[in-house]
Formats: sequence, structure tokens, C-alpha cells
Amino acid sequence: MRLIKRLRQYLNIWAVLSLFFISIIIIPNLLIGVNLFTEANENWQHIKDYLLQEYIINTVLLIVFTGAATMLIGTSLAWLVTNYRFPLKNFFAWGLILPLAIPAYIGAYAYHGILNYTGVIQATLRNTFDVSVNQAYFNIMTIPGAVFIFTLFLFPYVYVITKGFLEKQSASLFENARLLGSGPFNTFFSAGLPLSRAAIVGGVVLVVLEVLNDYGVVSYFGIQTFSTAIFRTWYGMKDLDSAMKLAGILMFLVIIILVLERLIRGQRNYSFSSANIRTVEPQQVKGIKGWLIFSYCLVIFSFAFIIPMVQLIYWAMLTYEDILTREFITLVFNSVFVATVTAVIIVCISLIVGNYTRLHKGLAPKIISRVITLGYSIPGAAIAIAVITLFIFIDDFIFSILSLLNLNGGIVLRTTLVMLISAYIIRFMAVGYNAIEAGFEKIGTSFTEASRGLGFSTVTTFFKVDIPILRGAIFGGFILVFVDILKELPLTLFLQPFNFSTLATQAYRFANDEMVHEASLASILIVLVSGLSIYYFHRFSQKDL
Amino acid sequence: MSKSMKVFMFSLVAAMLLIITACGNNEGAEDNGGASENATENEAANEEAANEEAANEEAANEEEANEENAATDEDAGEVNLYTSRHYDTDRDLYDQFTEETGIEVNVIEGGGDELIERMNIEGENTEADVFITADAGNLHAAKEDGLLQEVESELLSENIPEKLRDEDNHWFGLTKRARVIVYNEDTVDPDELSTYEALTEPEWEGRVTVRTSDNMYNISLLSSLIEVNGEEEAEEWAQGIVDNMSREPQGNDRDQAKAIVAGEGDVAIMNTYYIGRMLESEDSEEQKVAESVGVFFPNQETTGTHVNISGAGVTNHSQNPENAVKFIEFLSSEEAQGSFAEANNEYPVNENVEWTELLQSWGEFKEQDINLSVLGENQQEAIRMFDRVGWK
Repeated sequence: MRLIKRLRQYLNIWAVLSLFFISIIIIPNLLIGVNLFTEANENWQHIKDYLLQEYIINTVLLIVFTGAATMLIGTSLAWLVTNYRFPLKNFFAWGLILPLAIPAYIGAYAYHGILNYTGVIQATLRNTFDVSVNQAYFNIMTIPGAVFIFTLFLFPYVYVITKGFLEKQSASLFENARLLGSGPFNTFFSAGLPLSRAAIVGGVVLVVLEVLNDYGVVSYFGIQTFSTAIFRTWYGMKDLDSAMKLAGILMFLVIIILVLERLIRGQRNYSFSSANIRTVEPQQVKGIKGWLIFSYCLVIFSFAFIIPMVQLIYWAMLTYEDILTREFITLVFNSVFVATVTAVIIVCISLIVGNYTRLHKGLAPKIISRVITLGYSIPGAAIAIAVITLFIFIDDFIFSILSLLNLNGGIVLRTTLVMLISAYIIRFMAVGYNAIEAGFEKIGTSFTEASRGLGFSTVTTFFKVDIPILRGAIFGGFILVFVDILKELPLTLFLQPFNFSTLATQAYRFANDEMVHEASLASILIVLVSGLSIYYFHRFSQKDL
Repeated sequence: MSKSMKVFMFSLVAAMLLIITACGNNEGAEDNGGASENATENEAANEEAANEEAANEEAANEEEANEENAATDEDAGEVNLYTSRHYDTDRDLYDQFTEETGIEVNVIEGGGDELIERMNIEGENTEADVFITADAGNLHAAKEDGLLQEVESELLSENIPEKLRDEDNHWFGLTKRARVIVYNEDTVDPDELSTYEALTEPEWEGRVTVRTSDNMYNISLLSSLIEVNGEEEAEEWAQGIVDNMSREPQGNDRDQAKAIVAGEGDVAIMNTYYIGRMLESEDSEEQKVAESVGVFFPNQETTGTHVNISGAGVTNHSQNPENAVKFIEFLSSEEAQGSFAEANNEYPVNENVEWTELLQSWGEFKEQDINLSVLGENQQEAIRMFDRVGWK
């Protein structure tokens, strides 16, 4: 009797729902994990002998350098924008998020287009100044080149998360540092950096996971990493088992990264007991220093947004007549539609699970909060296999039930959007969840406890207290997921229903078939839609303050 | 099954999911009392909304298909296409096919590899009737996986030369491409060129560019060399090319042409149609590149130039096999072949179709005399060979 009571205490609605969502996400992970220990075949020996070493070296080089570079750029920009007033600061505050709207593979196409032999730089040098250059200096298809591309288009993850955190910090913390005689650099290193450690690390981890999962950039550049290796082994060698083993190693790598993240974040639990925090008031920086900060922002913004966009627009002008048809509008609609639906579902699940892990101590909630983000670490292709297998099972199940009821025919879910959206949810849960978890972390539990103390149930508290406080984080999570899905490739390519394409698949298909000019219009629209949502995200979060 | 029936069943499933969700919640909900129902309803409503939207979408598609069918032929039905091609001219051809036969063409575009894996996973539940992809290696892989079925069609045998068809008529070539040596006209005299094998000679050290070994065109080229020269010689060839490379393999086929014009090498191994595409490019710089390179068909005195195809097969679990055959027959016909091959500057397989001016300008050439099925048979060996010799 007592046991049942205990059990009921643990098994409340939040726990049950959380467990349900977790199991959806954990199944594909388990499949991969188990496969790591199955017997190796001869292909695996071949991979170990000739390839594995290079996969590991290249992958580690990419994540270490990209991680470091995005941390440097993202954090410094976030600090400057929140603490100082300088020319065009209000624009940069959201403009610096915009590079996120450009998928890295499209950035790679654009930069290769600019730098290669027929690109604008070399063509101008050759045709106008009659200068021929050494191709090696303009070769972006190298590991440093890939780090450059990833850094430019992924640093906003660190920037957004760190900036969001710094903006909500109490001004007194930094003012005290200043009063105690710290210079601006000192304040940054002794107060800003340690305080925002968790936010920075959270952002860098997102960047690293994106790099690990990237297929477009590395395959275009001819760099062998785990993601190209998985596809090569699966499609080329027709060896799903060995491909899953590679995916398993990749997952192991991700788990190490996630554990490191936890360690670096530490046990810290700063949250505020009062709703009236006086936030940081930016200082006016005048003269040359102000313009220096401005130039720094401008340089980053130019490389990460203006330059590639100009190239894309130029290409689009060459080809728009052939591409801009009625079908194109359908593409835009499709893209926005699936992204919206998925983002809404992910936000709802994140709220439920986030609320559960926050209110309950112990091992289970901790594990759950980590596991739910694992989908982000599985290669899209592996998720695709798991999901398609699952839906065939579901379809068969429905079919047999209908047969029992003497109804003819079946319902085919597997070629519908339901399947695609399910896969998106597994894949991008982490993005939405991290944003909302961070929101929960910030508000702590005191408001909730107060509400519970006044006799309201957890659920009432959830809707009346938590959600209103969290609306910034909710909106942030929504936008991040939305933008990610607009750009998503492997799942959409693999699971698309009949007669269904998105902007991303159209852009990829053209670019992949060496028709990069034709790919530009779809790319621009991805950037436009994502850019607009980022702008509104910024407007909203400003108002929210 | 009628449309309304389908919609009804879809709602049924939505309702079932709703019930499942609700049941799941009830177990835990007791503790929290009535308030929790709010959350449950919200969550369920959400899920339902998503399902319903999908259902509507499906219904809308259905409607469209039905309407158009009714307009032409009540019983013509449809053909579902998995294809890795995506040229605008293809869509026009599909429309033309629908107009002539009343058969509706539904399309999923994707990478050849992905579509094969998708069909593998879908098994007998697949919706695909016709599979179209580039490269005989891919088509062979599909056949090996049991995804295609044998087709008896006199028309296809007539339209398509035997060596461009599968031995068991599981797949049929529809366009033909040649993988050749492209050279910088300023630095290379075509008289210096002879065969693929000659590129491994010391005089070509540091002068050859080619893309990575992940690429199917390279895998098929090596597969064909395994067939005509034997494994040992083929591996020596791959090693020789690696030794003579002017840079690490990178980029796509267009990039190889640019590299030799830029002086990063003198000869490139690439497919002819990319030169055609660059000549038609909107970017005048790319046109200049294409104009300053020459196309050389190697092995004319010996084993012939490597050719490959893009082609189609009827899926093993097709629900509309007759429509599928009709569709492939249509694509192999004289009326369709021209635009189907020209869309990509490829050679038509139907010998009655005249070549475009560009193809004629490159001239006739001797092809490797092998049945293309061997490209698939030697594929795995070729991949391993590339790894052993360190061709990235």
C-alpha cells in the first residue's frame, strides 16, 4: 500500500509524459548504442585499417577549432553589445544573429563561388589587372577553410545565448566590479566570463553538435569526417552495420562533450529571488573606441552575412527567370508550414519535460534532461531509418486493426508529413529544450514554490505563473527550432512525402548537381524567412525586457 | 476506397491517437486532480491539430489527383516515381505523358542512394513504381537488393542497345554519359594523350586533377577498369593516378575543369556534360573556362572510353506495374529521348535520335565494350581499392 503511494507520488502527469517523450527519443539512440557491440564484419576491419584514424583526426580538428573560434567571437560580441553603446549598436544587436539564417553548406557554396578561379576576386584580378594568383592561397576547400565557414555561420549560437544571459543579469554585479577598480577587460574576465560560463558553454556545445552533424560542407570540401563516413559506409559499401558502428562512436563523442558541458557548468544555481532586477545599462563609448567596436562588429557581420548574400543575390539575378515559377511559392509554403508545426510541438514537449526535471530532484530527472537532447547528436540518416521502420510498424498495426473490423484498405502514415514531423521532433528537441531549460534555470523554483504555497496545483502554477514568466524563452526556443528546420536537409530529403519539396531540398539538389546558380534563389528565401523570424524574435525579446 | 472514406479513416486514427494520449495521462493524472486535464487536453489538441493538418493535406492531394484523372481517363490511374533527376524539362515530359495516357505522375525527388535505402526500408510497402537514378552502379545496387523486377518489353529492347540494359532486364539506360580526359589547350597537346592508363606515367606527375573517391562516377570508372584490365592492373592504375595528382581530390567536376585552367594541373578526369553545362552557364567566366579546355576521348585504340548511364527500372513491389512500363517506354521513345538527354547535355540511348550540335562537335567515339552490369558487380572492390591506395 505504502509502495503504491510512493509510486503514485513519483508517477505524476509530468513524469509520465516525460518518460513517454524520452522513450520516443531514446529508441533510435539505443539501436545505435547496441550495434556498437555487435560482431564486426570485414568492412569494419577495412575501415579501421585505412580510414578511421583520419575520420577521428579531422572531426576533432574541426570541432576544437570551430568551438574555440565561435566562443571567442560569440562571447566578445555579446559582451560588447550588452555593455556598451556604440554606432549602430541597436542594429548589430539583432543583425549579428542573422548569419544563423544562412545554412553553412550554402555559405560554403557562396564562399567557394567568390574565391575560386571563376569567382569575382580572381576574375577581377585577372581581367582588370592581369594578375594571376597562386590557387593555393584561394583554396577554401581545406580544414581551415571549413573551420572558417562553420565559425562564420554558427557563432550566433554562442552570441545569442550569452547575450540573452548577460542582458538579464543584475547590473550591480558588474558595477561592483567596476567600483572595486576593475577595468573593462578585467570586469569581463573576472565577472562577465565566470558568470556567463554556463551560457557560453551551452552555445558552444550547440555549435559543436552542428559541426558533428554537418554533411553538406564537409562532403563538398572533400573532408572525411564521421558524417561523410557514415553515409559512405551505408550507401557506398552498403553496410548499415558498420555505418551504425561509426554512428555509435560519434554518439560516444557527443556523450563525452555533454558530460564535459555539465562539468564546466558546474553545480552553480544562481537565480534571482526578486522579479525586479535592474538590468545592465550599457555605457556610452565615444570617439575612436566606439568606432573600433563598430568596425569589429561590421567586419564580422560583413563576412558572415553581407558578402555571401551579395554573391547569392548576384547568382539569383542570373537565373531567377527560370526558377521563379508558381511551384516556387509552394516550396515557401511547405517550408514554413512544417517548420511552424514542428516548432510548436517541440516547445510544448520542452515545457512539460523542463517543468518535470526542474521540480524533481534525483537521478531520473537528470538523466531525462540529458537524454531528451540526444537526438541532436544522432546523424539525421540514422533517425530516418529508425522513424521509417517505426511507421511501417504503425501502418501495419493500423491495417490489421482495420482488417479485424472488416474495413478494407489501410491508412498509410509513412508517406505523410506525420512521419517527417516526428523525425524533426526527435532531431531538434535539444534546440528547443535547451532554450526553455535555460529559462527555467533562470527563474529558479521560488516563484513556483510561492504559488504552490498559496495552494495552487503544479498545473495551475505552470499555466498561471511559469509560462508567463517564460514567454521570452518559449519564443526563443520556437524561433531557433523554426530556423533549424527551414535549413534541415538529410531528414527532409529522406522522408519527404510524394510531390513535396522544401526550399532547403530544392537548394541542395541544385547545388549538389553542380548548378549552384540555380540554387541561389531558394537559398535567399531561406535566409529571408529565417532572417525575418530572427528580427521579430529580437523585437519581442526587447519588449519583454 | 473513396475520398470521404479516407478522410473518415484519418480522423479515426487521429481520434485513436487522442485516446492513447489521454489514457497515458490518466494514470498519472489522479494525483493532481482536475487541473491536470487542462494540460492533457492542450497536449492532445496539439497532436490532433498536427494530424488533422496532415490529413487535410493528404485529402487535398487526393482531390487534386482525382479531379485530374476524371478529366482524362477514369481508369488510367497513376504512376509513382522515385527519381534522382530534377530538370525542369523532365516535368514537361511527365505532363506530356499524362496528356497522352491519362496516367498521373507523382514524384519524389531525392539522391539515388537515399531512394534505394528508402525502398529497402519500405520493403513490400513501398509506394514507388518506377525508380530513376544516375549510374549503372546504383541501378545494379537496387537490383541486388531485390528492389526491381524483370520487364518484358519489345519496345524497350528496340529502343535501347543491349549493353545499356541490365542482363535480366531489371533496369534500362535512358541517357548515356562519357567520363573523359579534359585538358588545358594551352599546356597540353592532345597528341600527348592516349589512354586512362597513360596518365599514370611519370610525365604526368603533379598534373592530374580528379575529384574524391566518394564520387560514384569515379567508383564506376574504376569498376570498369577492373573489368577490362583485371584487379591487379586496376589497383596499380589507381595508385598511379594518386601519385600523379596535382592536389588532394576536392570539389565537383566543374571544379576540376577550373583547376586545370587555373594552372593547378593540366588534365582532369571528368564527365563530358559538365563542359556542356559550363558552356551554357549564366556566368561568362565559366564559359571562358569551358572554352579553353579540350575534350579527349581516351582508349580509342584500345579498350574504349568509359560510358555510364542514367536509367530506370520498375520496382519489385509496384502497385501499377503496367503504367510503370508504359512510362519507361515513353521516356525511351524518340519523342522524349531528345529532351530527356539534352536537358543535361547527355547522349540519347535511342540510336534513332539525332545528337545535339555540341555532342556532334565532340565527335563519335569508341565505347568500352562491357555490359554495364559489371559496374555494379565490381563496385565494392573499387571502393576498397580507392581506400588502399589512399585516394581521398
